Amino acid sequence: MAADGGSSSLQLPCVFSPKSRQFLALCAQDGRLRIWNTDSKTLHQEYVPSAHLSATCTCIAWGPCRTVKEGPQRKKRKSEAVQVEEKADLLAMGTAAGTVLIYSTAKGALHCTLDGAHSGGVNCVQWHPEESLLYSGSDDTNIVEWDLQTGKTRSKWKADRAAVTSLCVSPDGKLLLSAGHIIKMWDLDTKEVYRKFTGHSTAVTTLRFATTRPPDSNGLYFLSGAAHDRLLSVWQVREDGKDKNSVVSFTLTDEPQHIDLVTSNSKEEAVRLAVVCKDGQLHLFEHFLNGPCKKPLSPSCTVQMSDTKESPMPIPLLAAVLGADTRTVMLAYGSHLQPVMEKVEINTAERHVCLTRDVQTTLSLSMETTVSKVKTPIVNAKSKVLVPGLPGHQAPLKGTSQGSEKRKKDTDTKEMSIAERLGEIDLSTISEKGASKGTASLQTDNFAVLLVQGLESNDASILNKVFQTRKDMVIKKTVARLPLSAVLPLVEELTKRLQGHPFTASLMVRWLKAVLMHHTSYLASLPDLVTQLGVLYHVIESRVKMFHKLTKLHGKLYLLMTQMATSDSSKMVSDVDHTAKLVYEDESSDEDEASGDEGLPDEDSDHWEEDEAVEEAMTEDNQEESEDEDPDSRTESKANGEEDMEHENESEEE
Amino acid sequence: MVEHGDIRVVHCGGSKLNFRDPVITHDSRFLLCASGEAVKVFSTSTEECIHELRGHTGLVTGVLLRPSNHLQVYSSSLDGTVRLWDFTDGILIKTCVIGYPIYSFYASAKHENVIFIVTSMPSEKRAERFQLVAVHLPQSGDQLVEARELSAVLSGVNPNPAAIAFGRGGEFIASVNDLQLEVYFFKKQKSYRFFLKEDNKKGGWNTFTCVACHPKDDCIATGHEDGKIRLWRNFNHKKEYTYSTLHWHHSAVSSLCFTPEGTNLLSGGVESVLIQWRYKQESERDFLPRLGAAITHITVSPDGSLFCTSHSDNKITIIQSCVKVSAVIQGLVKGDSIRTDLMMDPRSKALVLNGKPGHLQFYSLQRDKLLYNLDIVQQEYIHESGLQQFEVVKAAFDASGLWLATVEERHQKAAELELNLKLWAFDEQTQSFVLNTTISAPHDAQITAMSFRQTADSQTTLLVSTSKDGHFKAWQLAAPAHTEDEGPSWLCDFVGAYHGLVPECCSFSADGSLLAVAFQEVVTVWSPATWELLTTLSQPPGAVSDLCFGRLSCSKYLLGTTASNLLCCWNLLTCSLEWSTSMDVRRLLVDPLSENMAAFCYQSGSTDLFVFKPSEPRPLFSRKAVCSGKVTQAVFAPREEMLESCEESSQWLNRSQLYFLTQQMDLMTFTTKAEEDRLLASSKQLVIDDSVAMTPFYLLLGKHRQQQQEHRDSDSSLWAERTALPQTSASIKELLQTPAHVLPSTSYLCSMFVQSLLISVSDAREEKAHAEEEMESEKEEEDSEEEMESSRSKPELVAAATESDAPALTKAQARELRRVRKLDHSWLAGLLDS
Repeated sequence: MAADGGSSSLQLPCVFSPKSRQFLALCAQDGRLRIWNTDSKTLHQEYVPSAHLSATCTCIAWGPCRTVKEGPQRKKRKSEAVQVEEKADLLAMGTAAGTVLIYSTAKGALHCTLDGAHSGGVNCVQWHPEESLLYSGSDDTNIVEWDLQTGKTRSKWKADRAAVTSLCVSPDGKLLLSAGHIIKMWDLDTKEVYRKFTGHSTAVTTLRFATTRPPDSNGLYFLSGAAHDRLLSVWQVREDGKDKNSVVSFTLTDEPQHIDLVTSNSKEEAVRLAVVCKDGQLHLFEHFLNGPCKKPLSPSCTVQMSDTKESPMPIPLLAAVLGADTRTVMLAYGSHLQPVMEKVEINTAERHVCLTRDVQTTLSLSMETTVSKVKTPIVNAKSKVLVPGLPGHQAPLKGTSQGSEKRKKDTDTKEMSIAERLGEIDLSTISEKGASKGTASLQTDNFAVLLVQGLESNDASILNKVFQTRKDMVIKKTVARLPLSAVLPLVEELTKRLQGHPFTASLMVRWLKAVLMHHTSYLASLPDLVTQLGVLYHVIESRVKMFHKLTKLHGKLYLLMTQMATSDSSKMVSDVDHTAKLVYEDESSDEDEASGDEGLPDEDSDHWEEDEAVEEAMTEDNQEESEDEDPDSRTESKANGEEDMEHENESEEE
Repeated sequence: MVEHGDIRVVHCGGSKLNFRDPVITHDSRFLLCASGEAVKVFSTSTEECIHELRGHTGLVTGVLLRPSNHLQVYSSSLDGTVRLWDFTDGILIKTCVIGYPIYSFYASAKHENVIFIVTSMPSEKRAERFQLVAVHLPQSGDQLVEARELSAVLSGVNPNPAAIAFGRGGEFIASVNDLQLEVYFFKKQKSYRFFLKEDNKKGGWNTFTCVACHPKDDCIATGHEDGKIRLWRNFNHKKEYTYSTLHWHHSAVSSLCFTPEGTNLLSGGVESVLIQWRYKQESERDFLPRLGAAITHITVSPDGSLFCTSHSDNKITIIQSCVKVSAVIQGLVKGDSIRTDLMMDPRSKALVLNGKPGHLQFYSLQRDKLLYNLDIVQQEYIHESGLQQFEVVKAAFDASGLWLATVEERHQKAAELELNLKLWAFDEQTQSFVLNTTISAPHDAQITAMSFRQTADSQTTLLVSTSKDGHFKAWQLAAPAHTEDEGPSWLCDFVGAYHGLVPECCSFSADGSLLAVAFQEVVTVWSPATWELLTTLSQPPGAVSDLCFGRLSCSKYLLGTTASNLLCCWNLLTCSLEWSTSMDVRRLLVDPLSENMAAFCYQSGSTDLFVFKPSEPRPLFSRKAVCSGKVTQAVFAPREEMLESCEESSQWLNRSQLYFLTQQMDLMTFTTKAEEDRLLASSKQLVIDDSVAMTPFYLLLGKHRQQQQEHRDSDSSLWAERTALPQTSASIKELLQTPAHVLPSTSYLCSMFVQSLLISVSDAREEKAHAEEEMESEKEEEDSEEEMESSRSKPELVAAATESDAPALTKAQARELRRVRKLDHSWLAGLLDS
């Protein structure tokens, strides 16, 4: 039923299997038959006819669907296997040598060969919709009816003076259309000519019944397309026999290559038509067939396809079949050797649709799947990785009004009072800083100026230079000299850099601490504090998440190390030390470097509590913490700095 | 409750393919394997199932080619029968009732009409013991026979079919069990036993796992729990036996197989590597790695050209000459590892669930066939037992199929939980999913539920994930913060919590304007636009385990199931409980295309199904005891074409079909009678002869034969007469169909054949020598043809090629015939023998 007579020798046959469109049968230039699976879009099987170079395949037709055989003893038990939808199995191929091959896709092997009836090449094959009969039309002007149960010719008759280029069996199986010199309609019971139609000047390549109504009702229409003809003609089989001219015609952009048609069963139902032209375009038509129509009809929708290159090249469409609903179309495009199948929904409201496809990638993906049945989705560098700590992983990025419930409540309750309370302190700090700025030493002043410049111009090189300082005093002074307007940009810059590599992050922590020490009051006065510092909070929180466990591990390891060291010290001290170090580095090398000397762990744990307190304080409620934080961190600043660096590295490793 | 007779529960998705070792036929074209209660015949080249041999009423436990006829196959089953099939046509030939459940069975060419079965030992109360029993199959033409001649061979055997093997074409049988190898010689009727020590010194176990015997040599290969393979020789002595050890596998050897010539030994195990050891040069071995999953069975085709391995992920791999995987027959991957819910891919209309570790499988329900596995984790899977690796635990599609969200998880003992949330976009240009965003550690604890907002306008896509850490997070597709050239990616939009309770499930309303998140016994309703908590609903006690918004006309209802066996329906307009009913609902789901809802209830060991509309008090459909066990995974699959059933009870199946997974991991669905009738009506049998030109050589000979055919017509009549068969076509058919072993000897046939030819060329007797040469060649040709024909299924075609009516013999001819008969043709027989 989905067979088309790909008759001209240049045209390569390309047919979808009927009903569920599971397969696409395609005979490429190399003479091989390839069956593609449209579900998984992979090559299902390949068959090389024994004489594929001399007797090339000229036409393909899918046989009616088969079902899995059921044994007679099978009873209807409660839970038995589901009825699988019928599968397309047999495929008839006409060859240039005049034989017809029947191929079974289930077995992946040739089923039988029908030969000995044609002296010329076969141009078209058609299955009978109900009985196991096959019709073939040939260059030798004959039509042969094959009985497939015996594999023999049932009847053979001369159809025309010229070669038979196309055939079509009516849906009820009673009529046969043949095209040679003229189009003839045969009664299949008597093998007599029922009607004759003339009109095409070139070889007719396609014949299709457009309606399923009986021939004596004035409602039977069929469609024909010819080589080098940019019109599809529709013919009406009229009761009175006055059907000399075509009634309707459809305009195309090029000669039709593949036609799919949904027949109409009643007058109220439109005929839907999908025509792929030789120029690779698809035209969709929809028309109610009721009598003649003077004007040629233009397509309701035209689909083209192009690739994704800089200068888009069209991708030729090979075949198209219409789906059950009006919008879905199954397309096959690309080259005959490696077609791509796709089910698309086409917006038929638009007259021209252009689809862009990357055929190369699609093919490489589908070829992998053929044997392994594993598809690997594309993972490229464009995909974003969101790790804890990056903006968007946790925090809302919008303003306070849309911030999370919990935090909103917090800020709401405290905002006003803090603003009032700290207003004056804020001012005083500013003035203080402004004063000190003038009298600062040359170096720090330079740094502050540089930093401000860098922040304003967003110059990475300047900023890098500034941020690489490790001296706490310099950092402290620089931050202290910073104008207030530069504080927020600095915090933002620091946040951004904190998200980067842990090594740079460890440097940033010193800066951040200095900023918090000097400018907490200013920051606290900001109305949209939560959004400004939310990201920073999450970065730090996620990075210190593992810290507790790591300190535990550190302690355990340290204990182990010292135990081993003491036990081995009685023997060879140097040797043992060496091995132990190796083990340790394996676990957490950075920690080793940072805390190196013995006697630190005690210090560690102490500092940590404080440090965590700092971070919690910073975001939970910034104001309250601001006063007591300052002295704390001032005194412990050095140790804290070390700690920060450590834990940053470790958490990254984990 | 009304029982609806016209709606049936049916299986789909097939059964396990890897339950027993598959069998490859002699011509290597078909592969037979036991699958549930049927035997499936696959084509080795196209991977398609060609026939399903149905008839057993119990689990099929073994498939064996009949040693005396390679076109027939035996199958054994737990229902206590052995059936004989013609697999090319899918016809049941004979049923043999044995009466005991058969766990595995064996046959060898040496023991004609005897099969060996493993059954449980009678009168044994404690741990089940098994014995090997020889069954003599009665030779009668009946369809149904009963086998009564049983004789025990070995007792205390392992029911695992890999644990027994025939050696040297059936001279002895080797059986392993635990730490004991037993070899039984049929001729001497004597058995030898060899024991191994438990040997825990190096942490290895010596327990036997499988056995294989060399086809020609006295050598037994045994596989062991610790990955060793032992080759036993000289085992017909009690004391002087020897063995050598081969060791490559790091864990248990699950299957061993010798190639038919005995030149190679194949072994496989959890490592999913097929190893080919050279026999007698064991240091040389070939590997075929990365076969995908643990190997459970290995078989070799009788000609040694194809290997096939069954794998633990319900897959059969066909390997050509140990180098190339040529085909993969993949069934639906089922088992305890199914952790995602059942889903429908809106784009391909395929059923999606997790299958192979780290993959999502796409299964076409229409075709009942696995389409492909989508590699989500994209990490090399390490094939080692007891190793925790990343697994896909949750997945969700948005309404248009543009977005796929997956959660992968690795939970190691005494280590942090590793979680990744991946969001994949379907790229139309490349026709593939493309990774958009990976969110590592999206939550601090396991994700309990995940849901996309199903809106028609896919402008603002929103994903909500709930986790055991007490939060739910809303993720939104947004442009990157610091305007880089990247496209939009997914960012967290909102983090919600409710009194520190753990959210268990979430659901969006059909229009996407409401989000319901159940925090234990409290259902919170949020507005996704502003993230305001709109209302809370609760029906204590019992935590809410499933939430569903009504659709279409019932969209004002929110339904939930609680742990205290209540199904509650809240009206969202009044924010009050509309109704509630007491039932233990395990799974509640809503049909996306109608108002209908389905509830699977667990009651006294089996599951009941209720289909109802939230607005109506009476259920549309109810079915008691749909299956045994609990149902926790189910899905409504939209139909491609709407059914037009007018019957009230089956109307709910018009738009969608309901699929569910039972506790036994069977995929089931409901069909209506109308649907079945439609399918049956549309299916018709297409009978087509299959005379195939097998080879180009055949084509070449075809012409030559056609010429000869005419002048052979006359003698063919004689041929027919001599074989004393009345009707030529039928008789020849008979002759060609009879298995070779019942035909008379070739020399006899040959002389007959030659004689027949002699008559026809009687006038050219002087050229006898020449003619005979030709006859020779023809005879060969005939033979080859015979073979070809017999390997095919449809017999009637054969006749067409060869015979026509016999012309009557004249008296003279008859006399001639008699004279020729007396001629001595023994020289020809001698020629043949040489």
